[in-house]
Amino acid sequence: MKIKEIAGNNDLSRRIFMERTAKASLGVSVATTFGAALSQRAIAEETAGGGKAKSLIYIYCSGGMTHLDTFDPKEGNKEVMGDTKIINGKTDGMRFGSFLSGIAEVSDKVSVINSMSSTNGAHAQARYQMMTGYNQLATIVHPHIGPFAEKYFGKRNELLPDSVVVNRGTSNSGYLDPALSPLPVANPDAGIANSVMTTTEDRFKQRMEMSLDIGKNFVDKYQHYSSPKGYIEFYDQASQLLQSEELEAFDISGESNRQDYGMDKLGQGCLLARRLVENGVRVVEVHCGGWDMHNDIQGSMSNRLPSFDQAVSALIKDLDSRGLLETTMVVVGTDFGRTSRINDRAGRDHQPAVFSTMFAGGGITGGQTYGASDANGRRVGSDKVSVEDFHATIGYGLGVALDYEIYSPYGRPFVFGNHGKPVTSLFG
Amino acid sequence: MKILRFHFPLALLLTVGFFLPSVSDARVWTSTDGRKLEAIFESLEGDTITLKLRNGQKVKFSLSKLVEEDHEAAKRFDLVGDDAMTMASAKKIDYLLARNLGANEIKSFNERLPDDLFVRRIYLDVIGRIPTRDEFQEFTDSADEDKRAVLIDTLLASSGRASHLFNYFADMYRIRGDFRRELSYEPYAQWWRDSLESNQPYDEIVREMITADGNLGHNPANGFLQRDEGMEFDAFSNFGQVMMGIDVSCAQCHDHPFEEWTMHDFYQMAAFFGQTQRSTGNYMAASGGRYRASIPGAPEEWSQDFRKFTEKSGVDLDNRNERRQFGWYMTALGLNLADNDEIEIPVPKTIDEVGGSIMAPLTLYGDNANMSGKSRREALAEWMTSPTNERFALNIANRMWERAFGQALVEPVIDFPMNWEIHTGQPEVLQFLAQEMVRVNFDLREFMRILYNTQSYQGFSTYDRPVDEGAHYLFQGPVLRRMRAEQAWDSLLTLAYGSDIDHVYGGDGSFMRELLDVDFESDTMEEVFKKFEAYKKTRNKGEMVLAGTSTLTPSKPEVPVVDGIKMLRSSRLAQPAGGTTLLAEFGQSDRLVTDNHIFDGTVPQVLALMNGPVTTRLTGSSSQVVEDLSAFDGPDDKVRGVFFTMLSRYPTEEELKKGVAIMEEYGDDGVRDLAWVLLNTPEFLFVQ
Repeated sequence: MKIKEIAGNNDLSRRIFMERTAKASLGVSVATTFGAALSQRAIAEETAGGGKAKSLIYIYCSGGMTHLDTFDPKEGNKEVMGDTKIINGKTDGMRFGSFLSGIAEVSDKVSVINSMSSTNGAHAQARYQMMTGYNQLATIVHPHIGPFAEKYFGKRNELLPDSVVVNRGTSNSGYLDPALSPLPVANPDAGIANSVMTTTEDRFKQRMEMSLDIGKNFVDKYQHYSSPKGYIEFYDQASQLLQSEELEAFDISGESNRQDYGMDKLGQGCLLARRLVENGVRVVEVHCGGWDMHNDIQGSMSNRLPSFDQAVSALIKDLDSRGLLETTMVVVGTDFGRTSRINDRAGRDHQPAVFSTMFAGGGITGGQTYGASDANGRRVGSDKVSVEDFHATIGYGLGVALDYEIYSPYGRPFVFGNHGKPVTSLFG
Repeated sequence: MKILRFHFPLALLLTVGFFLPSVSDARVWTSTDGRKLEAIFESLEGDTITLKLRNGQKVKFSLSKLVEEDHEAAKRFDLVGDDAMTMASAKKIDYLLARNLGANEIKSFNERLPDDLFVRRIYLDVIGRIPTRDEFQEFTDSADEDKRAVLIDTLLASSGRASHLFNYFADMYRIRGDFRRELSYEPYAQWWRDSLESNQPYDEIVREMITADGNLGHNPANGFLQRDEGMEFDAFSNFGQVMMGIDVSCAQCHDHPFEEWTMHDFYQMAAFFGQTQRSTGNYMAASGGRYRASIPGAPEEWSQDFRKFTEKSGVDLDNRNERRQFGWYMTALGLNLADNDEIEIPVPKTIDEVGGSIMAPLTLYGDNANMSGKSRREALAEWMTSPTNERFALNIANRMWERAFGQALVEPVIDFPMNWEIHTGQPEVLQFLAQEMVRVNFDLREFMRILYNTQSYQGFSTYDRPVDEGAHYLFQGPVLRRMRAEQAWDSLLTLAYGSDIDHVYGGDGSFMRELLDVDFESDTMEEVFKKFEAYKKTRNKGEMVLAGTSTLTPSKPEVPVVDGIKMLRSSRLAQPAGGTTLLAEFGQSDRLVTDNHIFDGTVPQVLALMNGPVTTRLTGSSSQVVEDLSAFDGPDDKVRGVFFTMLSRYPTEEELKKGVAIMEEYGDDGVRDLAWVLLNTPEFLFVQ
């Protein structure tokens, strides 16, 4: 990435600029130091085995994706399939619902788990577990993968955040230091909120200098507190960011292949995720809704699935063509599956007992299907994968030692994936 | 003790000696003909004032016999009570603090805050927003010697007090409007707002929550126990944290690592809720599609009867959508707390050693609750709020101290040790506060009034040394804090739109409440059916206001919207505001766990202050600040005006010069630059 020198009288060189920004980074407090916990990372690589994935793009389908019509179709079972057609993947033996023609084309890069099983049938609780690996409790909030990984590996980036949440307005770090909160980007087209200066660059700089000047008395007076100093640091970063090209990591307007991904929030979110990963962001969550298809499953799918298929397949191809797929794990997760019985409103209802998830890249060997549901897709048929196992699989890919304990502020120990077992056979 | 070396305020205090709750601090009232009377205010009825003399005798006479200044005092005391005991108590706190500070060689309280910084802090602390420029000038221009005490009382008597206190309790009690799809918990949030507005004593609030029966329509206080419906033992863990300052959540699965609690102890105390039926659960699931599940507290056959009536009224329950709506309404009605001595909730089977067993209720410490003639919850409520349960008073006193001083006397507030005396720098102060909490009968307004009138509170936040290193902090003054998200939001709103926002109210949950307020014994099926019909349209609209009980008409609260922003203070917005709001950005608690507000800074916060919509309104081309100061003449006055508006303080000589310089460069437009500059100094976000 190019780092532009700060304009004007200020003759900071690139080196000094980097040194200044290395102290902290976007959305994180000054307390976090770049490059910490590298030794921990070394231990992890020895013990965990996986670890080819340097980054994770977690595409989350809120509402509960129908597994039968997507990754787990039942050949010749008209009763459960309804009007859904089945197509062959590029790889032998892989079948998909016909809406997933794009993903079917890259099935050699993709592995599917068809024996996912959750105990949560309500959206909020199911989603919470799929995002954190833990069941929701009223006494603690667990961190998502991004903050956990940053806690584990240490801060990776200088000015950019280590984790970003796309298509959500807010994020948090659970019981971890708030400094580890992912940066939320509510709208991929708009980039970081409030990042457009409301005055000319010169006048902005004049104002900024004056506010630092007037603010100095206050900050000096309360020198024993870290928080006012922290704000000076954030102002410093924010104004550098506004005038720097780092912001461009969040700007997808110049991407030539925007249309390939689809112009909706999921497509553009996936494109943004690719751009962020390219710039060193470790974990990007991309959220999309519209999967709670209680009514008219065929109609709902024709609205939702084509753009999903386009975005995910474009992402995999784009990462692959840039040589990023080897080090970037792409995961598709959802609340739960949907019933094989088509209800009287032509929709499908919630079904946590069995559902599907998808993996690609980051050490995953493509073309595999792991586990199976029963003949009607109602229960796990073989090789059950719990939500904990699913998380452990992601952790394995990222190279996290799955027995490594981190602690909440009150001393409760937690491990990545809540003691689940990784599906190691997905990895080459 | 090295008393002799004490500087002015402490040395003086130490001569005050013991706490004398007498009329020695009583106001001296003056008649229009110049006679003086030292007496405690009793009451004001119309034009008649009643005063109590030192000998206990009460005298009544017409207010018109007193001088004008006394009229003001009488009106103020009528709202918040006489302040003789308040002031005596504040002095006693200062005395106890000073004695211990002296023993630790700290020679004085922090320097007294000047008037300008005081007015900003007291507005932020009591009513949760900065003062407007007019409010600032009214206070700083006043020559009244008692003006601080008067302002404290005025603010405590205003609705802003409840608004800001709500923000604190909403975080502590995890108040959300939306934690179930079947109904909005807005009535519970509103119950809290109303309880705080009427200054209901805290022990009463707690007793109401513990003993609430019925559903949200019958008694919105039921939101406390329904908050964690289906997670009864988690709920009990939270109960321990907020009521007793004991975190027993670890003892849910294993014995407490530092205290003596065992899993056995945990489940024994949780057994106070062992006969509490909380809900029908998901009605359709509970009935297996056969509409047989009954509602706690309702006659056995009621659900079946209502189902039959609904079908007879033309609702086709074979239609999926109708059935779903019906199930939701029954679920909402069925979130109905009732005591039932025929049931016992056993310890979850998954728990080692004690799983599956049934425990007899026993409190974690002290004498067990007196169970005779009471339900278990009534017994627990009585035990909890009894003056003999010192920990209850300590807990809330410690929290209220934290609100005023920015740090609690003993930490962490949700889990402070049983032998707390050796875990605080000021054990006698905390002991005294707990006694005072009982003396004022858990009147939080009076308790806060005491704290705000202490010298310690009215000093600068400690800046000459670190407050969090090594030994326990001794409170020679408050601790510097960043504004809560709610203070930041309410302050920005005040800047952009003025103090009118104090008087804008949003929804109050009254319509939702009415829909669920079903009398299972005496309401006709037709009446309930009408509510069900209305429920279908408004299930998710907790903000709806009941326009008339007879017609079951909802109305939307009238809230002005400017620049796309609802003119509502944070306490009156959806709880929590969430989404992409500034409140979420500045760390408003998501209300998932107790005290989850985040005070840390982030780059996105700073970007919002630099370039966000409120900033645009204040400093953009049609700047609110420019307009506000249009009548001010000359750059000096304008610069002062911008400082009053944005930072509520006088500029230093140097700052004045810098401000004038920018005015000279850009003319009146320079006001915009200066306003932006002051909004974007860290000072803006802090409570000094």
